[in-house]
Amino acid sequence: MVTNSVFSRREMMRIAMASIGGASLSGWLPRLAKAACHARSAKSCILLWMPGGPSQLETLDPKPGRPNGGPTQSVSTSVPGIHIAENLPKVAAQMKDFSIVRSMQTGEGDHGRATQLMLTGYKPTGAPIEYPVLGSMVAQRLHDEKSELPSFVSIAPFRLADLGSGFLGAKFSPLLVSGASNDPNTRANLTVENLSPIGGELARMQDRASLLKVIRHSTATAGEGSISKHAAVYDQALRMVDSQGGGAFRLDEEDDVLRDAYGRNRFGQGCLLARRLVERGVPFVEVALSDAGNGGGLSWDTHADNFKTVKTICDVLDPAWSSLINDLKVRGMYESTLVIWMGEFGRTPKVNATSGRDHYPDGWSMAMGGAGIKPGQVYGSTGRDGTDVSNPVNTPQLFATILKALDINPASSNQAGDRPIPLVDDHASPISELLV
Amino acid sequence: MFASEMHRIIESTIGIFVRACCSLLMAVVLVVLSSGLDARSDEPGAGVSDPRVLVSRDWADWLNKEGRRFWGEPPEPCDDLLLARRLYLDLLGRVPSVAEMRDYVALDPSTRRSTLIDQLVFHRGARADDYKRTFSDHWARQWRRVMLLPNSQSGMNPGELEGWLSQKFSRDDGFDLIMASLVEIRDASRDNVYFRLSQSSPATYAANVSRVMLGVRLECAQCHDHPFTDWKQADFWGLAAFYSDLGAIPQGSTAPAKLGTIENGGVKYVAKVLWEESKETAVSRSHLANWLTAPKNRQFAAVSVNRFWQLLVGRGMYASVDDLDLASPQQRALLDGLAVHFAESKFPVRSLIAAICKSDWYQSIASSVNLPTDSDGDSVAFHRPVKSLSPEQVFDSLEQALMLPISRLDPSSARWTGERMQVVARLGEAVGKSPDEYASGIPQALVMMNGKLTADAIDVENSRLLRATLDSPFMSAADRIDTLCMATLSRHPTNEETSAFVAYIQKVVSVDEKRRAHGEILWALVNSPEFVLCR
Repeated sequence: MVTNSVFSRREMMRIAMASIGGASLSGWLPRLAKAACHARSAKSCILLWMPGGPSQLETLDPKPGRPNGGPTQSVSTSVPGIHIAENLPKVAAQMKDFSIVRSMQTGEGDHGRATQLMLTGYKPTGAPIEYPVLGSMVAQRLHDEKSELPSFVSIAPFRLADLGSGFLGAKFSPLLVSGASNDPNTRANLTVENLSPIGGELARMQDRASLLKVIRHSTATAGEGSISKHAAVYDQALRMVDSQGGGAFRLDEEDDVLRDAYGRNRFGQGCLLARRLVERGVPFVEVALSDAGNGGGLSWDTHADNFKTVKTICDVLDPAWSSLINDLKVRGMYESTLVIWMGEFGRTPKVNATSGRDHYPDGWSMAMGGAGIKPGQVYGSTGRDGTDVSNPVNTPQLFATILKALDINPASSNQAGDRPIPLVDDHASPISELLV
Repeated sequence: MFASEMHRIIESTIGIFVRACCSLLMAVVLVVLSSGLDARSDEPGAGVSDPRVLVSRDWADWLNKEGRRFWGEPPEPCDDLLLARRLYLDLLGRVPSVAEMRDYVALDPSTRRSTLIDQLVFHRGARADDYKRTFSDHWARQWRRVMLLPNSQSGMNPGELEGWLSQKFSRDDGFDLIMASLVEIRDASRDNVYFRLSQSSPATYAANVSRVMLGVRLECAQCHDHPFTDWKQADFWGLAAFYSDLGAIPQGSTAPAKLGTIENGGVKYVAKVLWEESKETAVSRSHLANWLTAPKNRQFAAVSVNRFWQLLVGRGMYASVDDLDLASPQQRALLDGLAVHFAESKFPVRSLIAAICKSDWYQSIASSVNLPTDSDGDSVAFHRPVKSLSPEQVFDSLEQALMLPISRLDPSSARWTGERMQVVARLGEAVGKSPDEYASGIPQALVMMNGKLTADAIDVENSRLLRATLDSPFMSAADRIDTLCMATLSRHPTNEETSAFVAYIQKVVSVDEKRRAHGEILWALVNSPEFVLCR
């Protein structure tokens, strides 16, 4: 154990015993909770993940008046000359705070494979390397050892593929937060399972931790073995229980007006929770818009009835995304928080027989703003009919840009065993036009 | 001292039973605590006439001798109680009960290690039937983990493969026969379970078969020729071609492909085994199965031995178990020696397991110290790492330690209410790639700390272990600590632990508070690193 070099056995026992029974509250658990929100220094990232593949034509790249544009009209934004779809009026008003990439060209048109590509930055090859997702990569670089919260939180997660921290290990795998209800009309109850101590009293947790320390002491060994890993994970979990996640999950502390503005649904409240987590030093939060009342987890997968469905989902997305940007700005957190909006691909610039649009990886849109990103611009275009792509951006280039915006060197590598694995594939460079 | 304490537990339990014979709960406790009494009929030395036992003894002697030539002297032996815990975890997938520990301690100290191994591996004594079932289930689960890597995304229930394997282990089939039927898939409706779990894809199955049974990772050669070894795309697809008829119907075709050829990227590949030219003209899976598991195919026997060794000792004789093709003849010398014995005796699984357990290597102390390595980064010394329990081992150990009901008829049996599934699924979200890797994260710690199973376990009203301990009037405070420690960690508490815990209990005044304090101590015991690790 870490403290072995500092304390003698006798001292260890004395410290352990002194704090048993709640006599001393200063013995064991770091008092971070009492120190309130400790200062954030590094940058953070919030990924608004849109599983199923949102239609660019009904969101960020409308083609009104074109035969394949459907009935969707465009609206002007707070940046002269930039128009987006009428489904996102509040987001349009915030255009000066973020930028759009309209020329994503990623080549994977299957949900599972595309999800893996867009979350890890690597194409699925069947290679025996488990690539970590973006959240784990960022968490590994920006985490704070002393935090009372994990470095990667995933809210209302839905994914086709079973993706996680890969070779970076459980330390950087996402803590999953699920809403207790799938009904977007009920109040979202976003919780972490098993966060409340047995019996409900935090004071008893002090006893337990001290008793645990007594047993740990008799198996303490030097080195980086399983025993010290166990201790590290438990210490972090104990801090989280002790502080109840730094109070991050107490959404009812927020003003009702603000909660209403985000939207009283799982995604809206999830975005609000994301802000509270980032505020408490969590470097990466993912919020998935996986169910907007149209059933299933792939809400954006609009093979049929595209126009109505996208409008329904946008009614959830628009207030949540715009409130998040606003809220972060009001609190002075926006310039250190990168907010990304994307799915695994876009949808065909062709309406099918069931008023739907199918998978389209060859020219789709994503958006980002906040930390490191030059706002108020559109990068790339898809021409009049959505098929003529200029300035195409592939996944490694996007990943390089995201990492650069977070002050993480995209040219650096992680170690998978004894093998260096670059953070981004293909030695891709960031898109400088998008960066401040 | 331990035996007499245990005797007191039983006496006191009987006392309670007599006083309150209407208490069904205590009746169960009595049965659990005393069920080992008749196990003593299993005399030490019984079963020496079993040739499998003799074989295991010979191989253990061989390992002790040859291992010393290969690695030098082994680390010092671990203590007797720790060894028993290891054996129960490694052979049955759970910690020993207090009664089993008592029986073990009562055996002749000079032979009890081997006696216990024979009881658990060759299923002797009063608990033979239970041991046979648990042993087969546990080893099926171990091999399922080897065969289906975490995150292999099949979306199917791996339980089917476990059931299939468990049946084979239970019948004591030779390991070559078990694996050959998976390779051959003669009965496409029964033996295809592993194929289906490999997404019914010839390519995925080829990669799995070659990794699991030959210790060759061919999958990199799926798209390009292997960068480090000389495996070519033709090797990979040549193996896949043995399964082309079982795969999906190719695009633009109406019938399944024919066995023997497979197309990839416009190139047609012909079925071929990985090495050794085939003399047979007709391509068949039985030919592949025969080639792969033949005693003269040193690779299959060596990979199998190395995997059994890794599952038991924590680290392969050659550490990179999936890349045995990269090992030099020197690095695999000991492994190949044991593999020859294994193959020549028709691949007897139980003899191999017992032999490894009886060797000085298995029985040495574990350490987490890093070892000197050679220029390739391979360890040159023997290393016995601390192992992490699998999710099922954790649950089954909790069930054993906490004396949870296990009958299907009991509506509170966590095993059948779905609680086991939930705990195993949560713990299974973070499992290491090898037995020595502790991979759990915060959600796993939280379920152990605050989950329902632990809540019930430390609740005096619900916990059978606590009640059995607390309702024994003849036990001293230290005896009670000892019982809790023995039930969970299979060891006596240290003096420091005893005095710390007794002091903790004495700090509170009321009876209820004291009872609750025992619950808190039990919390600490099941949440200690020792509980989820196999030292």
